Amino acid sequence: MMQNNLYKAKHRLWLEVLFASFAVNDEAIKSRLYEFSLIAFRHMKWIGNEILACGNDYNYDRDAMMLYKRESVFELVQALKNAVAKTQALYPQTPLGERLRTDDAYLMEYLSQILKDSGNNKEITAFGMQRKWENKNLDKEQIDALTMFLFEESYKEYELILVYAYMQARTDIALHYNVFEDLVAESHFHLKSFGNMMAKMGILALPRELHELTYHIKDLNQFVHDGIAEEEAAKEMCRELSSAVKDEELSKFFDFINFQESYHIELMKKLL
Amino acid sequence: MIRIFNPILVCIRLKRTKIHLKLHTKRSIMDNIQLPEGMNPEVLSHLMNPQNYGKLEHASGVGVAVDEKTGEYVIFYTLLNEGDTIEDVRFATNGCQDTVVVGSMFTEMIKNNSTSFAQEAIQKMNAKLGGASPQQQICADMVLSAFVASMINYENLQEGKKEEMHVLKMKESCEVQDDAK
Repeated sequence: MMQNNLYKAKHRLWLEVLFASFAVNDEAIKSRLYEFSLIAFRHMKWIGNEILACGNDYNYDRDAMMLYKRESVFELVQALKNAVAKTQALYPQTPLGERLRTDDAYLMEYLSQILKDSGNNKEITAFGMQRKWENKNLDKEQIDALTMFLFEESYKEYELILVYAYMQARTDIALHYNVFEDLVAESHFHLKSFGNMMAKMGILALPRELHELTYHIKDLNQFVHDGIAEEEAAKEMCRELSSAVKDEELSKFFDFINFQESYHIELMKKLL
Repeated sequence: MIRIFNPILVCIRLKRTKIHLKLHTKRSIMDNIQLPEGMNPEVLSHLMNPQNYGKLEHASGVGVAVDEKTGEYVIFYTLLNEGDTIEDVRFATNGCQDTVVVGSMFTEMIKNNSTSFAQEAIQKMNAKLGGASPQQQICADMVLSAFVASMINYENLQEGKKEEMHVLKMKESCEVQDDAK
């Protein structure tokens, strides 16, 4: 029978793979690890569904998790490999368990391939706290604003992914299910964007753990209204940041995110 | 600037906890209380790795401060030992990063200290918040109120009342920011 400890382990592994993808500078490895992180997230979803089908429940608790603040790609990949290996023992002897095992075996093989090429062993700069953006001349005020924005929004996107996924798993209304699916996908993209930006600035950090008060939603209408207000606030932050950061490329990016938030509001209205 | 953080309100809440405030005549370490001022390395460190974040099993008291207008909350877990010392604390929030930084700093400040020290810390923080932005004041108020709520919960449990957690509703909301600027 699927249990919460497996869900917690997969939640942890999803974050480990995801944040490893943010931390690595090599675009090919980054992209591949990100794909594996999405697979791990689907694993979470399936495990969660089986737990619910058994009449049990899962939560988003994390046991004292820290990021792998490693200095080289090899150190990070080795740590990740160990984490994947450790999780394998928890998989049940079911079709889903078999799928989890074979996916992870392929991930392990990919990690092993990275370790065979010494050219991959580059320095990790994602945790250096240098707070600089290469090739961009941002002053301290702009860097501070960008830093705060990234911390606020990376947590918020992580929160939204988990809250929407939690609600998606518990709805039997097709429209709601589809809206949550879209919102989760959108937040994945935003978290990826912000996580990579944090890594670029040397401030990559794990979003804080969600308390159940955040995802045990008792009133969907209130939740949607609060969510719309939050999206409006995020749009305002994007607007402010876009005008504060005197860089065309970054300004365009924040405008782009701002427009995406507008459509999230429309999606959320469908839940009312 | 509209003064949103209300020291009188906190004092009233403190009286409700029936914890007697013992004023120290000598200058305490709380004279060195630091609040988030800009993006310095200490603030960045609290942002990247908030201290005492999460849940605490077997807490003596659990308190929540909630802003009903925005749905933001802070939940505070306090574990007291027999000698009135705050043995351990945890907090969690769905609020902004200011709340996280204040919560991280405040919990570090009161952990392994007495409840009277904690109350003095609240008053000191309160005094220092006069110069903070309205949003920081509200965020800090939520953290402090959640701690106070945890103490109320502790006392209610001591009196035999059945209460999973004590909830305090915030009078001021983060939504007022535009008016306050």
